[in-house]
Amino acid sequence: MAQRNEHARRVLDLGRDEAALLGHRYLGPEHVVLGTLRDGGSAAARVLRVHGVELVTARAAMRRLADRGVVPGPRPSDAELLGSLGIDLAAIRRTTEQSFGRRAVGWAIREATRARRGGIGRVPRTPLRDPPVLVTQALYHAGEQARAVGHRMVGPELLLLGVVKDIQTPWPRCMKNRWTRQLHASVGLPERYRGAAGPLLATFGVDLDELGAALMAELLQAVP
Amino acid sequence: MSEAASSEVTEVAAATSSQDPEVGLAAVAALRGLVEVLEALQVENARAKGWSWQHIAARLGVTKQAVHKKYAARRFGFRR
Repeated sequence: MAQRNEHARRVLDLGRDEAALLGHRYLGPEHVVLGTLRDGGSAAARVLRVHGVELVTARAAMRRLADRGVVPGPRPSDAELLGSLGIDLAAIRRTTEQSFGRRAVGWAIREATRARRGGIGRVPRTPLRDPPVLVTQALYHAGEQARAVGHRMVGPELLLLGVVKDIQTPWPRCMKNRWTRQLHASVGLPERYRGAAGPLLATFGVDLDELGAALMAELLQAVP
Repeated sequence: MSEAASSEVTEVAAATSSQDPEVGLAAVAALRGLVEVLEALQVENARAKGWSWQHIAARLGVTKQAVHKKYAARRFGFRR
């Protein structure tokens, strides 16, 4: 997987922020599209705008997708849920890291959430870890495309191109297992969820081949 | 915490007390996610300090077989 440059990381951060605004407790390819638009300063955002996709309308489209059940509606965060029980998540995170160290807490998180036969005591997700990142396939495709055009770093354009390739490619079989299903269910995603960037762009009538070609044209213009 | 966020928490708390299963169950799931990590941390710590499975099990209120089955095979990752 190719490294992401600062601009791409900012787009992903804005995507996380957009997810939180929608009350989504995961980061999906659809949030990367929103993050790209929110950032606005990349050729990728320009290409999206040329195809009629704007931030305000895209946010509204996401809410309609939530009504249709393609993505979840707003859900309280883990900190809010635990707060409703009178538990201070931030305090627990602080005290455990102070007493056991970051490495030990990281190990315990991996142990508790690791897929294993039997699945004794296994949880799909823990509040001590950040919301799940469900854009790994898009990032993989972005890296592949980066190699193909000879870029060393993944920028916003390659990131969006990765999202487009992800929509066009069926998820590999390794993603169809009960751990993935449990993880998806734990953040309220429907079972058929395979990223909602496709349905989001479809509401704007975007031709994915055309969008991909436009992004590729931008990439080939840019100095690698 | 911002004002909007804290009002949201109050809202959630109100929803919990109104016995909405949607929120209540999600809160329990979050709690379980927290408990499993804390348990793994404490068991690992106890083993590192030389505690026996029997001792650990007694403190957790389960049988020693249960705690051994759950943790014995997992202790290869982290070492202090």
